[in-house]
Amino acid sequence: MEAPAVTTGMEWEESLLPPTSVPPALKAEVRKRLGVVPGWVARVAPVPWVARSWASMMSKPVAHVSPALCDLIALVVSQDNSCRYCFGAQRAVMRMLGYREAYIARLERSFHVADLSDAERAGLDFARRISRADPRPSRAEVERLARAGFSPPAIAELAYVAAATVFANRAATLLALPPEPFETMVDRPLVRLMRPLMARRLRARPRQPEPLPRPNDGPGAAAVATLDGSPAAGVLRAALDAAWASEVLPRRTKTLALAVVARALGCARSEGESVLALERDGFGARDVEEILATLGSTRLDARETRIVPFARETVRYHRPVPIQRRMREVAEGLEPAEVLEAVGVVALANTVCRLGLLVDLS
Amino acid sequence: MSWAALCAALVALAVLAWRTRRTVAGLERRLAGAHEELERLQQAFSRFAPAEVVEDIIADGLSARSEKKEITVLFADLKGFTELGEGLAPAELVTILNGYLERMSQTVVEHRGHVSKFLGDGILALFGALEANPWQTNDAVHAALAMRRALADYNATLVAAGRPALEMGVGVHRGPVVSGLIGSEGLTGYDVIGRTVNVASRVERLTRTHGVDILVTDATRAALDGRFRLRAMPAVAVKGIAGALATFAVEGFDADGRAR
Repeated sequence: MEAPAVTTGMEWEESLLPPTSVPPALKAEVRKRLGVVPGWVARVAPVPWVARSWASMMSKPVAHVSPALCDLIALVVSQDNSCRYCFGAQRAVMRMLGYREAYIARLERSFHVADLSDAERAGLDFARRISRADPRPSRAEVERLARAGFSPPAIAELAYVAAATVFANRAATLLALPPEPFETMVDRPLVRLMRPLMARRLRARPRQPEPLPRPNDGPGAAAVATLDGSPAAGVLRAALDAAWASEVLPRRTKTLALAVVARALGCARSEGESVLALERDGFGARDVEEILATLGSTRLDARETRIVPFARETVRYHRPVPIQRRMREVAEGLEPAEVLEAVGVVALANTVCRLGLLVDLS
Repeated sequence: MSWAALCAALVALAVLAWRTRRTVAGLERRLAGAHEELERLQQAFSRFAPAEVVEDIIADGLSARSEKKEITVLFADLKGFTELGEGLAPAELVTILNGYLERMSQTVVEHRGHVSKFLGDGILALFGALEANPWQTNDAVHAALAMRRALADYNATLVAAGRPALEMGVGVHRGPVVSGLIGSEGLTGYDVIGRTVNVASRVERLTRTHGVDILVTDATRAALDGRFRLRAMPAVAVKGIAGALATFAVEGFDADGRAR
């Protein structure tokens, strides 16, 4: 049984890092969140926060939009970002969940002609706009969503789901994750029989609204605050706190990557937060401006000299292979754990700053 | 008799339903195909115009959007190419020129620039025009250095094939332009206009005066990473520009150096 032609035709490099053993506790945690343990867990296990954050961010922590719309967004955004791994995995998950092949194929060709409600179509348009961030989402689009029946927390969750998919797309693309074996299994007779059972495990349960986590004062605080009332706020806050608490790379390296992504996306709030954090970490205002203006400085250490300019390249790329080759060049000077943390941080920065576009709008 | 009529009616209905379903499926396929084509066109167009302009065109057939923005313009031209062409067969001349334009365009794109147009052997490339790019000036000057290297490689190929080597001049200037869809009803394209484009072209001409290959203006230098090695050139009076024009030759980039 082969993977669908739509995925086999997508260009993709060999995986950047080999799989490693996964601690049972981490495996259990991911299974609890996603219902399965995807192949990427073994590749990112050496930096556990990446695995935990990835699993929790993709577990549809939403209370104001339907998990079904989250599935559609994940498919459309992954396809738009040419992420071979996420696109293939998402379409396989949707097949397991009971979506017909013809329906998925129609969505892939264009969601404008698929059997969708006007609200779903507006939601997908907006999600793709958040992911592309060019042009930036406008107030008119937010108003269109409101007219389509989305409440302000639901609009924030739409942006979150798109931005979380951007995280997965960046992480999977930069690591050049190999396709999941289950992609080719969905149409096997035995698997077809088991699909209802598997769907039960994979289907996300609707969540209840949750208050904003307190304190919310670390990196990306403004972006997290846009998700007030959504369980996604806590998930994103936990992901950011875990990333910044990890000691594989220094805090300042991670903040620099966030600041660069913010500048590339024109996300004023996230850049402002990062600049203040860098000043607290001992950088002078002029040093920070020099780094952001030139993507280089003698104040940067050897790892930062690689990671800081690379962060900018992860914001927009039109094809996966050139960015995967650049990632390989960057990785040559880093330890595997450093590569994983750098990938996790730039992916997270892309999520935060895309949500930050919504902050700037308000 | 009535059973036969009923059966016939049922068969007819079934055939009608089947044909309708087939027609609807065919129409859906064509509609999806049209959207897919539109999506591809949108992606293709986004290499020539900003995403907002492409969206306007797709929605309304035109875009009245025009804006003033700060961009970096790179103008490249071959020195003495007209004289060189006089000694070559037309086919050979075109082959050499196309090889040059191909390599330089690729280099521009690799550095996040966009080739706006070819003017004979001239290249007008824009940085920061299609999408916001805070590092547009660095990208443009890195592109110029990469073009220098790409031309050296191309010249090695040309000389090995017994053909003449090419010499290039590049001018880079940063400043405001007005951008939008410009042209007549029959021929319209996304373009930029303004003094910035003219200055970049004049600066390229100055490479001949100063005997260098890459020159940037003071406005470019001000926005540039301090690790670029620049050499000040004597200010020269240039047609259409008030006062003498100060330029700087770009010698290289010190990746390990400290910015200004």
